[in-house]
Amino acid sequence: MKSLGRVAETLVALVAIVLLWDVYTRFYDVPEFLLPAPLSVWSAFIEAAADKLPGHVLYTVGILTLGFTIGAILGVAAGVALAKSARLERWLGGPILFLQTAPKIALAPLFIIWFGLGLTSKIVLITSLVFFPVLIGTLVGIRSLDTRLRDLARVLHLTLWQRFRLIEFPAALPEIFVGLRVGAVQAVVGAILAEWMAGKQGLGYLMTFASATYKTPLLFATVILTALLGIAVYQVIEWVERRLLAWRETP
Amino acid sequence: MIQIRGVHKEFAVDGAKVTALSPTDLDVRRGEFVSIIGPSGCGKSTLLRIVAGLETASGGTIAMTEARSPAQRVGFVFQEPVLLPWLTALENVRFPLDTAGVARQEAEDVASRLLRLVGLAGFENALPRTLSGGMRQRVSIARALSYDPLLLLMDEPFGALDLITRDRLNDELLAIWSETRKTVIFVTHSVEEAAYLSDRVIVMSPRPGAIRSIYEVDFPRPRGEATKLDPAFHHLMANLRRDLQ
Repeated sequence: MKSLGRVAETLVALVAIVLLWDVYTRFYDVPEFLLPAPLSVWSAFIEAAADKLPGHVLYTVGILTLGFTIGAILGVAAGVALAKSARLERWLGGPILFLQTAPKIALAPLFIIWFGLGLTSKIVLITSLVFFPVLIGTLVGIRSLDTRLRDLARVLHLTLWQRFRLIEFPAALPEIFVGLRVGAVQAVVGAILAEWMAGKQGLGYLMTFASATYKTPLLFATVILTALLGIAVYQVIEWVERRLLAWRETP
Repeated sequence: MIQIRGVHKEFAVDGAKVTALSPTDLDVRRGEFVSIIGPSGCGKSTLLRIVAGLETASGGTIAMTEARSPAQRVGFVFQEPVLLPWLTALENVRFPLDTAGVARQEAEDVASRLLRLVGLAGFENALPRTLSGGMRQRVSIARALSYDPLLLLMDEPFGALDLITRDRLNDELLAIWSETRKTVIFVTHSVEEAAYLSDRVIVMSPRPGAIRSIYEVDFPRPRGEATKLDPAFHHLMANLRRDLQ
């Protein structure tokens, strides 16, 4: 009942914003290429949806999923390696901190020089954005293992692999998911940016195309769709997290 | 069944040698319930952890007669329950069996029987976060018993619980002990707990950690409220308190 009320409030707020937007464009007679009316954004969306929009959305979702998956797997693997080897962390800790704090968006042109205008440079950009937060999350998660759980593993004479698979990894999952959530948001940014810079597909490309040809209603539709995509990605991660981590003390 | 000879432990703090446990001899008979009591820093937990293999002694020997496989010969109950929060009560109890490769059905049977023994029938599928502190510690005891160890080591297992729960768990522990006939070494800082549970109480003193005195406790079993009213019980507690000064 309470959540239903909250949903209703959000809906009312949304409707109010759209109405204000509509009234503003009508009242002040704003030119369409500056601020299109909600209705013309909607019709641009319907028009594009019947045409090439689904292909662009699929493309963006595709590179997003691929880049995120690769970044997550590499991030977890690297995090485990660093957590397990003090020497490795001594050697790589500095460079990783440098790379993590450096704005990776700034590396995007470099990736294009290195990996070309095709799919590879896009995947590399998204992967690099997901990799670091996941690595840090995994490292912190495994490092901060309760020493009492370590004692338990010793009393039960678990093998190293059992200890990792049955205790350390599940115990690190909450921290890993913190990294995955940050990575997911970054991945959407990376995917759009990568499509801006090169290629003829994806929501990012559609934005540059709409902007260059003054199709502002289409640009608006694409921006809103991108925002919704970001929210959807976040929701998926949260849903998986809720299912996997239902055992936590505090939800 | 266990002979501890000259076991000691030193470690270095900022270059200075600190003695956690000076050379200690102790024999524990099969089926005996021995309590070790002492102030913090007396080395009682260190001794227990050395017996469990959680810490290595700086010297001395520990011999266990009739030891079967060296793996999983001791059950350990920590001060905190140390359950795996993503596993249910039953899965936590069968965890040692699963990791040792015991058949599914057998592990399941043993675990449900032990949960019944510790009074948690009906909570098989409960996650630790839904259980009270006392219930979690019972799961922890059942887990320590799951692989049928010869020796049960308990490191202040009820220290974090309220007094009422603690009293009840003491009685349940005695019931479990008389049913399973385990050899128990029980570390505590409660005089009453030590006197009530044990066949023998070992008092340790700190700096350096060493055994100070040993008391044989021969109140009849099963023990109960009558034991706590026995003047001899209070006399023993007074002696223990004096030794702890």
